[in-house]
Amino acid sequence: MAPAKGHFTILYFAAAASFTARSTDELPAPVQACSLFAQLEERYPGITLKVLSSCAVTVNLEYIDIDEDDGLTIKEGDEVAIIPPVSSG
Amino acid sequence: MASSTIVESLRKQIASCEAQLKDLRRQLAEAEHYQQQQREQDSLHQTTAAYSDPFTHDMSYGIHDDFRSEVFAALSHVEVGSPSRKWPLDKTEYKRYGRQLIMPEIGLQGQLCLKEASVLIVGVGGLGCPAAAYLVGSGVGTVGLIDGDIVEESNLHRQVLHSTASVGMSKVDSARVALNSLNPNVRLVAHPSRLTSESAISILQDYDVVLDCTDTPASRYLISDACVLLGKPLVSASALRTDGQLMVLNYPPRPVGDPSGGPCYRCVFPKPPPAESVVSCGDGGILGPVVGVMGVLQALEAIKLLTRQTNEVFRHVEPKPADPPTLLIFSAYSNPMFRSIRLRNRRQKCAACSAQSSVTPEALKSGSLDYVQFCGTISPINALASNERISAENYAKIRLEVNPYTGMEPDKDSHILVDVREKVQFGLCSLEGSLNVPFSTITTTLPNLANTWHNDEIPQAQGWVTELKNHPEKPIFVICRLGNDSQLSVKKMKELGLDHSGQRWIGDIKGGLKAWRNNVDREFPEY
Repeated sequence: MAPAKGHFTILYFAAAASFTARSTDELPAPVQACSLFAQLEERYPGITLKVLSSCAVTVNLEYIDIDEDDGLTIKEGDEVAIIPPVSSG
Repeated sequence: MASSTIVESLRKQIASCEAQLKDLRRQLAEAEHYQQQQREQDSLHQTTAAYSDPFTHDMSYGIHDDFRSEVFAALSHVEVGSPSRKWPLDKTEYKRYGRQLIMPEIGLQGQLCLKEASVLIVGVGGLGCPAAAYLVGSGVGTVGLIDGDIVEESNLHRQVLHSTASVGMSKVDSARVALNSLNPNVRLVAHPSRLTSESAISILQDYDVVLDCTDTPASRYLISDACVLLGKPLVSASALRTDGQLMVLNYPPRPVGDPSGGPCYRCVFPKPPPAESVVSCGDGGILGPVVGVMGVLQALEAIKLLTRQTNEVFRHVEPKPADPPTLLIFSAYSNPMFRSIRLRNRRQKCAACSAQSSVTPEALKSGSLDYVQFCGTISPINALASNERISAENYAKIRLEVNPYTGMEPDKDSHILVDVREKVQFGLCSLEGSLNVPFSTITTTLPNLANTWHNDEIPQAQGWVTELKNHPEKPIFVICRLGNDSQLSVKKMKELGLDHSGQRWIGDIKGGLKAWRNNVDREFPEY
């Protein structure tokens, strides 16, 4: 489902879904990828340390590197996913 | 004690009988084979005998008897011995693998590749069981199994190779019994202990492909590092609750520092999750088919890897570069259930597979790389003072017995018992009269409720605080499953001012419901 105008969709998997107690949010776009974690921390205090620091992040099903992809912007309609490593089995 | 000895003895007897039976079957197969050969040889000799009449032989053959018998021997060797040599697979193998043999993706060459191959399965649990079953079923020549655990009853809903009768057995032995009866043609190699960094290189080096079916972050980094050092492709999967992940890593398995090799586990997840946030299947739960799906997909990826060459050479498909690395995410209750994430190549600064690698075989073998420390450990929670805690036995006295000091009758209403397990667990079983306030609700309750972000959650969050504030005189006992969350809950309740500046006692029951079951009520369910 496409997000509302001026927004992007963010999907939470595994531990990220547990922490936020939801599977998805719609957040205002555009936003710099490097400031995404700060925005999530504001909404979900403690999430950076407990979840985000070890997560893979994707934009439109492509892996991105939050620390190294300078200047990457998350645009309206994008689908971002927060993918914590699942280690059980 | 006595009954466990009997069980043990019966198990041994069964195992011994099964071994005998297996041996008898093998002997029978050999005997039948020999009998068949004999018959064919006899019929040939009869024909020979008809012509070996001393008066006719020179006329018929014009060669010396000795030489003639040699020729017959050679002929009979070709005719009788050929059925097993003429075809690259045994005739039982044609039948057994027929349904996959007729597929162009496998074919005869693919089957021979599988037969030549060896696969190591690290962890014979929820992922390893289905993965091993399909790989052994498909006719992989050698399958290694590593696991140091024993089969528990709570494994059976998902670990499909283990049976009720094998509870208490080592997982590796239990799996061997099941796999051997599934396909006795496969050579099974047992490693009945946990993989360590010291042993990883020497165990992994004998195999073509490694499957990571383990359950901790430390083992995932260890296996990945060892695969990178040895140049082995790694099929890694994991599952928890309703989620699963699958990756084919270090493929193609180029040397360390070669950027054209496939990424390793560290490239995708360079930082391990904080230890306190790591949830096991025992704590978080797991749905059988979720972990089953992931294990089955691991077997599939392994088969694809092992038969890949076949496709290029025998189906005249152009050799193409390996598929771009992907992370497959399975989320059973999402729509779509599967998402395929395109991964990047090796990370430029990867600690394991890049030119700047700091992981060496020597460091691994010497044990100087401490994976457990890298992933962090959780020390047992000890957050409360001793006067803030009560044992399950003493709490039972408050509930069930006359107070020896005051002579007061036991009374459940004299105090409040708060059970901080999540709602689902509380629904399974609980102590009578307990009030359920889930730990997740407690930890997310802010001292100033106006700050709570989700407006719709305020009344609920406020509800439990208000309810407990309504009875300021009653002491609060907090209980959970094992006695950790209860301590943190007590601390949080005090932060929220529920102890009225120390006027009301709030404390936890040591060891939680587990201690209650072990020391007070054996009938209380264990899950």
